[in-house]
Amino acid sequence: MATNNEIEGFGRVSRTIGTVFRYLLLAATLVGLVFVTILLVYVAKDAVQPLTADPAWHLTFFLTLVVPTLAAGAYAYRESVEALRTGVFSVGFVVVALMFSGGAAMIFVDIVEPLTWLAFLLALAVPTAVTAAVVSYDHRVPFAAQFLATVAAFYLSLFGIPGPLGSLAGVPTLVPSLFDFVAGLPLAPAPWLMMAGTLGPPVAYVGSQYVAGDRDRRAHVLTGAAVLALVLAGGALGPFAGVDPVPGVVVAAIGLAPPLVYTAGTAANRPTERTGLVVPATIVVGSLVGAAATDALGFAGPQSWVDWAFLTGSHSSTAAEAGFYPAIGGSILLMLTVAVLAFPVGIGAAVYLEEYAPDNRFTRIIDVNISNLAGVPSVVYGLLGLGLFVTYLNQPPGTVLLGGATLGLLILPIVIISAREAVRAVPEDMRAASYGMGATKWQTVKNVVLPRSFSGILTGTILALGRAIGETAPLIMIGAPNVKYSLPAGLSEAASAMPLQVYAWSSLYASDGFYEQAVPAGVVVLVAILLAMNSIAIVLRNKYQSTE
Amino acid sequence: MSDNTPQTDEPAGGETADPTNDDMLVETDVAAATSGSTAGATPDPVIRSRDLDVFYGEEQALDSIDIDIPENRVTAIIGPSGCGKSTFLRCINRMNDRIDACRVTGELSLRGKNVYDDDVDPVALRRRVGMVFQEPNPFPKSIYDNVAYGLEIQNIEGDHDEIVEQSLKRAALWDEVSHQLDSSGLELSGGQQQRLCIARAIAPDPEVLLMDEPASALDPVATSQVEDLIEELAEDYTVVIVTHNMQQAARISDKTAVFLTGGELVEFGDTDQIFENPEHQRVEDYITGKFG
Ligand SMILES: Nc1ncnc2c1ncn2[C@@H]1O[C@H](COP(=O)(O)OP(=O)(O)O)[C@@H](O)[C@H]1O
Ligand SMILES: [Mg+2]
Repeated sequence: MATNNEIEGFGRVSRTIGTVFRYLLLAATLVGLVFVTILLVYVAKDAVQPLTADPAWHLTFFLTLVVPTLAAGAYAYRESVEALRTGVFSVGFVVVALMFSGGAAMIFVDIVEPLTWLAFLLALAVPTAVTAAVVSYDHRVPFAAQFLATVAAFYLSLFGIPGPLGSLAGVPTLVPSLFDFVAGLPLAPAPWLMMAGTLGPPVAYVGSQYVAGDRDRRAHVLTGAAVLALVLAGGALGPFAGVDPVPGVVVAAIGLAPPLVYTAGTAANRPTERTGLVVPATIVVGSLVGAAATDALGFAGPQSWVDWAFLTGSHSSTAAEAGFYPAIGGSILLMLTVAVLAFPVGIGAAVYLEEYAPDNRFTRIIDVNISNLAGVPSVVYGLLGLGLFVTYLNQPPGTVLLGGATLGLLILPIVIISAREAVRAVPEDMRAASYGMGATKWQTVKNVVLPRSFSGILTGTILALGRAIGETAPLIMIGAPNVKYSLPAGLSEAASAMPLQVYAWSSLYASDGFYEQAVPAGVVVLVAILLAMNSIAIVLRNKYQSTE
Repeated sequence: MSDNTPQTDEPAGGETADPTNDDMLVETDVAAATSGSTAGATPDPVIRSRDLDVFYGEEQALDSIDIDIPENRVTAIIGPSGCGKSTFLRCINRMNDRIDACRVTGELSLRGKNVYDDDVDPVALRRRVGMVFQEPNPFPKSIYDNVAYGLEIQNIEGDHDEIVEQSLKRAALWDEVSHQLDSSGLELSGGQQQRLCIARAIAPDPEVLLMDEPASALDPVATSQVEDLIEELAEDYTVVIVTHNMQQAARISDKTAVFLTGGELVEFGDTDQIFENPEHQRVEDYITGKFG
């Protein structure tokens, strides 16, 4: 330094290796994502065939839909990032809600009669009310009596006297259950009215709670009435739009009401995010205008293989007429069965292991083996299902119940592991606070641990369900039919599933047409449903993380 | 630090009966041998421990603690960190039961009943002893539900709205939250959260209130609010408060127990006496900051 009169800098330290390392990591992060995206783009291109459309069709929609949507998004973004986020979220909400309402409508049209549904709800509601009444006399009635009364109420209401216990012994039914009684009523309101009566009030209640909170009675009543009117209109006006009354009610209650309520809630309660609503509005208006314009001008749209006929038809000998409906319905039924069977067991096991189990060698062995189970190949679970249910318990092969039980076993370890993660994430502070107040373990679990970990548990279990919906091997093992022509009418009937149907279409025996048309269309539907399910998990997780 | 001691004149006042305090000092100093004879002379303490040892595995955290904590007073427990202050507090409501490695021997009685007797249900015990923790830990529930938590789980009869309001008033929080009882307890500031936890602890009307460094995570303003509150609570509750802040102990407590490293209770007596004229050189060194 003494030799140099100029002011020296600090010099530089080489970061070459670090930079190389950083980009290698980036590549590692993106590799899977990129390949799957490329595949899906290819598949979607085959399924939707955008190039078969008239270029003018593309131009029309570009002008009426894409440009205005981008402009609306930019406008909302300039207002605030939250506004844009709200806008995009509400668009996603509409799409997901409509998809779910489609699935629900499918169930009520083809599987569960509205009267059966009503009977089932009533048969559950009455004993639930009895339980609530009994429990509110907590301190006066001993626990054993409460428990007996509750069990008796449920048993009577669902099974009657003597019920399944009696029919095993060959005793005839003396008193019909509430369920049988309602389901057998000779006079019942129109099916769509029953659906509106069962779906409307809960949606209206939740909706008015969301929009009006408990600050304003008038707003409360108004929102509730508006939602009820919407649900009824779905049934009453549906036929004019070519939709039967029952699916009309279901779509109005599940597909339309929630996004509308969300929009109304945003407009009413969150003025800063209000501008974001221009995005969904632009998309709706833009699509309608675009559709009207292309219709009027006679521009042909793309010859997509994913169309209404594909979604509502069943398999056919020609690829162009093949449909996916029985497979979609079968998958939905399978998922419901899996959820009902695997969630309570998995969450129960997780809570036991986290909150109750002593830390000894036995529980550690269980611990390690649950992790091992999560890695067991799905074919092995198929074999388990086949051996246990079909061979040993003499169940007919390939039924919904069997498939649900097998897939349920398959995802059980994943459910347990993710639910444990969520339960473990409940801060120790919370438990200490509860025990310090003199809570028992049960009270702590019920009032503090479960509510706090609920969304985390739900996130993990929905993702696990996503794994089950795509499984093929176990279903093949248990003998589920590759191709079915109608929805199963109950849990003990054989059902196909989306991945199975896709597999059948791509198998050696199918012609090229199936491979080029039906397979991509089926994959697009399968992935879309999977993403819709996962989006719920993602939204829940974001909400959960932001409240922490 | 020693120039803070004059402040102690005020809270300790002349209320505490002097003879009993001397007796207690004797007991703690001379260990268990004399305790039997002198105990009869004192008015019944709310909490009384004799020969209380606590071990975490092999490591001893408390060594033969003898103490008599009087009713409706603030008793401060001070000492360097790791000397077993929290451990002692957790013995009183048996929160130590939740730690697997923890083993307790000796006697610790609440109103004459040894809480470590086989027939004592720790859950029932904790319903008579409220606890406030170092970090504010409200539940992720509404403010109302936080305060009503103890009422719900303990099946306490009566007008819950009324009790919640009273508890929040006593915790000096009512004015700030009365219009937002339905909003989450987590939306409050740190000091408000700690007062919410105090309201939650006193709502079921416990006999004893244990506080483990309740102000250490708070800023100075919130700290002094909580301190004022503790002094007021002592009119109705027996308060045992752990603190590592000696000015705080001097300001708000009537009695002070000094724990030193090794889990020993070295000195226990009137707060002003401990701060002005401690008997033990080690205590004086600690209080004047010569060792910590
Ligand atoms: N859960 C625990 N497991 C094992 N050792 C513990 C546990 N809690 C405290 N200890 C030990 O007991 C001693 C006293 O701890 P503690 O009561 O927390 O002290 P203080 O509250 O005075 O800082 C310390 O040496 C600490 O390491
Ligand atoms: Mg401590």
